[in-house]
Amino acid sequence: MNGYDSPRESGNIAMAAADTSTEKNIGRVTQIIGSTFDVEFPEDKLPEIYNAVIIDTKINDFQIKLTGEVQQHIGGGRVRCVALGSTDGMVRGMDALDTGQSVSVPVGKGTLGRVFNLLGEPIDGRGEVPHEERWPIHRDPPKMKDLSSKTEVFETGIKVIDLLTPFVRGGKAGLFGGAGLGKTVILTELIARIASAHGGYSVFAGVGERTREGNDLWLEMQETKIGQTDRSVIEQTCMVFGQMNEPPGARLRVALSALTMAEWFRDTTGTDTLLFVDNIFRFSQAGSEVSALLGRMPSAVGYQPTLANELGELQERITSTTKGAITSVQAVYVPADDPTDPAPATAFAHLDAFIYLERKIAEKGLYPAIDPLASSSRLLDPQFVGERHFACARRVQQILQRYRELQDIIAILGVDELSEEDKQVVHRARRIERFLSQPFLVAEVFTGKAGKITPLDETIESFEEICDGKWDHLPEAAFMYVGGVKEAEEQAQKMAEEEE
Amino acid sequence: MAKARAIIKRLKAVKNIRKITRTMELIATARFKKAMDRASEATAYTEKISEIVSDLSQADLEFSHPLLEAPKSEENCILLVLSSNRGLCGGYNASVLRNAQIRIKDARKQDQNLSVEVAGKRGISFLKFQGVELDQVYENFDDSPQFDEVEAIADRLIDLYIQKKLDRVDIAYTRFKSVSRQEAVLETLLPIGDLSENSEDADENKAAIDYEFLPTAQEILEELVPAAFKAKLFKCFLDAAVSEQISRMVAMKGATENADEMITDLSQKYNRARQTQITSELSEIIGGTAALE
Repeated sequence: MNGYDSPRESGNIAMAAADTSTEKNIGRVTQIIGSTFDVEFPEDKLPEIYNAVIIDTKINDFQIKLTGEVQQHIGGGRVRCVALGSTDGMVRGMDALDTGQSVSVPVGKGTLGRVFNLLGEPIDGRGEVPHEERWPIHRDPPKMKDLSSKTEVFETGIKVIDLLTPFVRGGKAGLFGGAGLGKTVILTELIARIASAHGGYSVFAGVGERTREGNDLWLEMQETKIGQTDRSVIEQTCMVFGQMNEPPGARLRVALSALTMAEWFRDTTGTDTLLFVDNIFRFSQAGSEVSALLGRMPSAVGYQPTLANELGELQERITSTTKGAITSVQAVYVPADDPTDPAPATAFAHLDAFIYLERKIAEKGLYPAIDPLASSSRLLDPQFVGERHFACARRVQQILQRYRELQDIIAILGVDELSEEDKQVVHRARRIERFLSQPFLVAEVFTGKAGKITPLDETIESFEEICDGKWDHLPEAAFMYVGGVKEAEEQAQKMAEEEE
Repeated sequence: MAKARAIIKRLKAVKNIRKITRTMELIATARFKKAMDRASEATAYTEKISEIVSDLSQADLEFSHPLLEAPKSEENCILLVLSSNRGLCGGYNASVLRNAQIRIKDARKQDQNLSVEVAGKRGISFLKFQGVELDQVYENFDDSPQFDEVEAIADRLIDLYIQKKLDRVDIAYTRFKSVSRQEAVLETLLPIGDLSENSEDADENKAAIDYEFLPTAQEILEELVPAAFKAKLFKCFLDAAVSEQISRMVAMKGATENADEMITDLSQKYNRARQTQITSELSEIIGGTAALE
């Protein structure tokens, strides 16, 4: 199945399957409900679960080409399929062809620099994708004995992430946040920072987000250069999109398609591969839509009863093995800013680094709006990051924690009622809070400030000095949007000069 | 649901704080009345005695008193800081201590030998935290300072000054002007400069009074100048006490209002969270039964 090669340029599996098999297994569509449909097959030739079923006919000059995925055998020779494209114009009685295998996507170096849909068809208008192999999108996660146990810090140059939620090389990081807090911006920033400094391959999966954002990203990746070389990031990247306009079936499977391509890079080339997913919540959401269409009973908050299982099947595949590593960064939408919602809560369990974006911080105009107390990382432990880093991160968190506790008191009684120690804590916490903001490379066109990459050592030193009170004399505004603390000092000087 | 429970917890805490601030507001109102009466009684006496001393010093008389003489150099200085024993009085202590710090910095700059004496626990803990060495602390002054206690301090200062072991005394306290206006000030007590607080009035009346001295001007001054100093110092303590109560009243009123606002806000949030929870549970049950049918 893995070595299956399609002779047709558009990757039309149906025709390909028909060419190689001696006998076509054709059924008839008996029912269409939204984006699910039932197909009746001869009782002894039922397609397997997850097999791709293809409808390719012409009705009233209207060409319908649709791939479906078998989800249920509902008895009487009928199977229920989820459409991976639009069901517009479908009628009962249409012929549906069982391909005998699940949806597969082209893999290999030929996919680099290209944009695909979930069926592995290129959508960038650059013609055929040269490939030797197609891999099915449903695969088993790596075996336990093959898993890699290395733990290594992955530096991003973003102060708050490096200090408080260090990323794991070959691990998974999640960006949680409500609507409009800048998840996508942070994700693109990470692509710009990591992918441009990174030698390996990157795969981007656009799951149920704005098509425009996907287009922006694609254009930007063409412009961004890798390190000092002349090659653009896109040459080392392949992108798979199944955005908001797609039916739920497509949004449910697009992450798997992207992941399959990433797995090839990991297993075959053995390089470090980056996988960016925006947005994993849309995967759960699509699953819930499909679940409702399939008639499953909804579970808590209307989600599918199989939520944990579906997400587990996807997440367990995003992992590093002894052959190669996949480092993944995933954006997770948090509906109604409620992190206890089942979808983000389930995603949380799979991640090594957990970054939570907080609306209150975004409201203060501090970006990235990462909540330094709610965010955490498995790596923030002296055994991985070293005593000094750990102690510094804890101190920063303690100060901010105390400040948060005092906030109600300050709101009611005013800052004057605090004890001297607490006043000092508030004083420093407000500076730390502002110092956690940082200008982004990708936001340069909007803010007019050049993006700052702060090395980890400088980050730790800066925060240590602020905690020690070395910079208590600088005004709060000086700490906004700078790299190291030295820049805060420069900014303070500039501010003082402007005042004069 | 976790959110509703967290809100309830906060709501309870805010309600408790409101209870305290409301009580403090009422207590401060009652105490303010008493302190106010005492201060206004003392005001009349202090004003008169200052007036006399100032008249005398401005009259063309040949006399001198050690307390009126400014020493050649200001080497040994004392700073008295009048703060409160209790908190919950808004910016009262902060503004007094800000002035105190200005003086302390100043003394350091001019290389003076400044010893700091503080009344009130709040000031003591603040200055200790700032690393200022305190030579004398008083915790016995509450909302009705006693004259005996103040006199003891005054006597000590006068002695030191006359013995030339002390060249200057400053005081940082809150001056009471009216119920709606108090002002944190830094004043020099010794050497006695202009004793009259309202010098404009004094100017008008100055020429009118012609004193006769019995037995001599010198002897009367010996009595009068220390008395004026003591009265003045006592007045500072009384002013501080009234101002403290007013500050507390105002601060607690504001705090109670803030707490009320927060309670309304949190109650609304809680109700909404609770309603959301009920709605989602209902729709889940309805959805579940619908799916079973």
